[in-house]
Amino acid sequence: MTAAAASHAVPQARAKDRNRLSLRYDAWLLGAVLILLVLGLTMVASASIAIGDRSLGQPFYYFWRQMAYVAVGVALGLGALRVPLVFWQRAGVALLVMGLLLLALALVPGIGREVNGSMRWISLGAVNLQPSELVKLFAVVYLAGYLVRRNEEVRQSARGFLKPMALLTLIAGLLLLEPDYGATVVLFATALAMLFLGGVPLGRFTGWMLAAAAVMSVVVLLAPYRVERLTAFMDPWADPFDSGFQLTQALIAVGRGEWLGVGLGGSVQKLFYLPEAHTDFLFAVLAEEFGLAGMILVIGLFTFVVWRAFSIARRAEERARPFSAYLAYGLGISIGLQAFTNIGVNLGVLPTKGLTLPLMSYGGSSMAASCLMLGLLLRVDHELRTRDRGI
Amino acid sequence: MTARRASKSHGFRRDLVMSALLGAAGLLIWRAAELTLAHKDFLQDQGDARYLRVISAPAHRGMILDRNGEPLAISTPLDSVWANPAELAANRQRWPALAKVLGLTSRDLARLLAGRMQREFVYLKRHVSPALAKAVQALEIPGVALQREYGRYYPTGEVTAHVVGLTNVDDAGQEGMELAFDDWLRGTPGAKRVIRDRFGRTVEDVESIRQSQPGRALHLSVDRRIQYLAYRELKAAVRRHRARSGSVVVLDVQSGEVLALVNRPSYNPNNRADRVSDRVRNRAATDVFEPGSTVKPFTVAAGLQSGSLSADAIVDTTPGLLRVGKHTVRDIRDYGVINVATIIQKSSNVGASRIALDLPREALWQTFADVGFGAVTGSEFPGEAAGSLSDFTAWGRIHRATLAYGYGLSVTSLQLARAYGVIAGDGRLRPITFLRQDQPVAGERVLSSATAKRVKAMLETVLVDGGTGVRGRVAGYRVAGKTGTVKKSVDGRYADDRYLAVFAGMAPVSDPRLVVVTVVDEPGGKEYYGGQVAAPLFAEVMTGALRMLGVSPDDFGGMGHRVALSANQRVASRDL
Repeated sequence: MTAAAASHAVPQARAKDRNRLSLRYDAWLLGAVLILLVLGLTMVASASIAIGDRSLGQPFYYFWRQMAYVAVGVALGLGALRVPLVFWQRAGVALLVMGLLLLALALVPGIGREVNGSMRWISLGAVNLQPSELVKLFAVVYLAGYLVRRNEEVRQSARGFLKPMALLTLIAGLLLLEPDYGATVVLFATALAMLFLGGVPLGRFTGWMLAAAAVMSVVVLLAPYRVERLTAFMDPWADPFDSGFQLTQALIAVGRGEWLGVGLGGSVQKLFYLPEAHTDFLFAVLAEEFGLAGMILVIGLFTFVVWRAFSIARRAEERARPFSAYLAYGLGISIGLQAFTNIGVNLGVLPTKGLTLPLMSYGGSSMAASCLMLGLLLRVDHELRTRDRGI
Repeated sequence: MTARRASKSHGFRRDLVMSALLGAAGLLIWRAAELTLAHKDFLQDQGDARYLRVISAPAHRGMILDRNGEPLAISTPLDSVWANPAELAANRQRWPALAKVLGLTSRDLARLLAGRMQREFVYLKRHVSPALAKAVQALEIPGVALQREYGRYYPTGEVTAHVVGLTNVDDAGQEGMELAFDDWLRGTPGAKRVIRDRFGRTVEDVESIRQSQPGRALHLSVDRRIQYLAYRELKAAVRRHRARSGSVVVLDVQSGEVLALVNRPSYNPNNRADRVSDRVRNRAATDVFEPGSTVKPFTVAAGLQSGSLSADAIVDTTPGLLRVGKHTVRDIRDYGVINVATIIQKSSNVGASRIALDLPREALWQTFADVGFGAVTGSEFPGEAAGSLSDFTAWGRIHRATLAYGYGLSVTSLQLARAYGVIAGDGRLRPITFLRQDQPVAGERVLSSATAKRVKAMLETVLVDGGTGVRGRVAGYRVAGKTGTVKKSVDGRYADDRYLAVFAGMAPVSDPRLVVVTVVDEPGGKEYYGGQVAAPLFAEVMTGALRMLGVSPDDFGGMGHRVALSANQRVASRDL
């Protein structure tokens, strides 16, 4: 009797479990992401009211568009949640090739759209697609697959390391043609970190790191405006009305915030003093309106997302699911690097490079890519929770 | 086994990467704290330097009121259109729309902005109408904005234009009382600190540094009603006689207050296009003329005052002309042997000259100077002329003879009114003022009371039948006055066809309250004598002013025969 009852009870409990979302998905990660999304929307609204009103006569123009982007992003994320990882593992190469093609298209005059001297966008009527945002995701998917397929090669031979590096250099080349220096750095750093985690011998790795650094330096030095940006970031107050203009305005915004900020909507810097207040410099406006507390919250949330990604990856490793592990690492590192780089730019510890804050900055492509990445990350976790338990 | 080893190695590498990312997060928080806590003063100062601005809060100018508190000049808020040149230049495609609203051309705009690109502020149009201001605002052109300012509105327009004066576009006094009492009227602009966005729009008031201090009100001595009356009558007279210009001054005898001062042509101070210097000039205070016969009472006064002439003295004016060196003094006809009062009544040049020639030289000068000729009246009116009265030591016989009937010196209407105020005011000279006096003004005695009374009595005979000023009579009041018909000098010679018609008088004679001087320049019609042109104007103004002020009539029998007799009798009996 008792045995029979127990055998009855187990399927019932499992059925219950199946209906409990918190057991099938990482609620903590999801919660952090939702907080970042809401905070981002609020800040986009606040930072863009003045500019929307002045240039378009609609104070909430950017807010409503961003709402739409969030909706699209959430839909994409939910979609990604339903797609088995096997699909991504198989499609890795194809996706990367597609990303390459899109990148190349953005450079074709007539298809690509130039904004502020950069050819970063493909015009799709009402919205513009920024391929570099997607390429970051595709590269992570591809590399995760590659590290699984060629694991021995990566560990043993130089070829295993050089092949993906060559491919990445090609992507980087296209990105630099746009030019999109920020995306290049994030992409490269993410790839190197993934290869490092994939087991590339330390000696070889360090050598190539140095080589890559040398190449980067040359690239920087070849374009004078990048040199200017670099020097401006090191001492923005030397020329606060020209090369240091944007950064000094951002720093002033941060300085005005103090502990708790001037309050939502109270930012003065967003009143046309700080350029790109609702996109790349959203963090500075957040710092002005919510102070040190707001900054610690945002940095903490991103750190939490990264930590969560790493713990998911670790579990995947323990369950001998290397593709899931590499994917989770790559996504975590990519999101973390981009967020920290953007914040670093806002706080004047890194040179200005035109990078959005994931999940928060205004922009459809960035929002779509960020949501896709997090959807994927949640899917990795979801598969670990369900498949292995047989739920 | 290999999987576990790999996992171990992974563990180390994973921890390294995670630590690096955590380290980055820690570094960012450290930096954030550094900026918000350690560098905040520097950063906030930098921010303040960028958007904190001290702007001045305009203060409105004090009102100008007439003696009864009726407004003559009022400050009203107005908008001016200004631009930030660099920003406006960046929106060149909007220029035609802006130019059209402002009533300019794109070329005008270009000229306004040319050479001012380095500035942050250029006026496009000052003091625009509210409708235009709204239209400019509706265009929403970057770099174009409105500024609130104060401008003057003059409700009485051309009627009080010359007394009140006007301000320039910056609200500073330019003419008249607006200029004379600019310091009193002008407000002190306040200052406040505001936050401005990068396009110069004020977002928030931070603090008030200094409250704006509005200007103080100025009470003038003029009476708006008398002013209107005088202006209406002057305008009519100037038109009727096709004259070049004209002035009327109404003076309060006891205080020296100007109750009315009007000129033709005048202008509308509310319309900047109307501000032509010929019309803006206050002729009554700034234009001088030879007073002609109107000085004869003072020639007689000089004689009486010096004791060398008695009031009943007989003067032989036959044959109606008098040779003085090469010069001949003429009367209109031969008056024969006449008394002093008749010299005044008939306005005999020969008689006046004879009196003057019998006087010590300085006696005539002294009296003329005493009644204020050759000196400003103390009115503080900007640009007031002093006229001319040369030093007696240079006077020859011809000069003395002609001075006696008003040539060789020059006066303003204001001076002439003041001098007649001496005769009306029992021999006391009072400064002219445009400000309301609440206390009576004692003045300074320059003629004896007896002299003043006798001359006043002689002046009354001018208005009785047979006198030159009968048309200056006022029903119900006894009036004393003197006509003047002055030949104008053109290019150094006296012209035969250009005259100045003058009348100066006072009423009521029993206790004079008002002195009125009327001057009509170059009457174009057949009538040009002071008695024909200026005397009727005097009568109209005096009649209205006395009634408005509620002055009791002092002539119940009707002026004419009785007065003429009594005046002659009085003059005769007193000096017998």
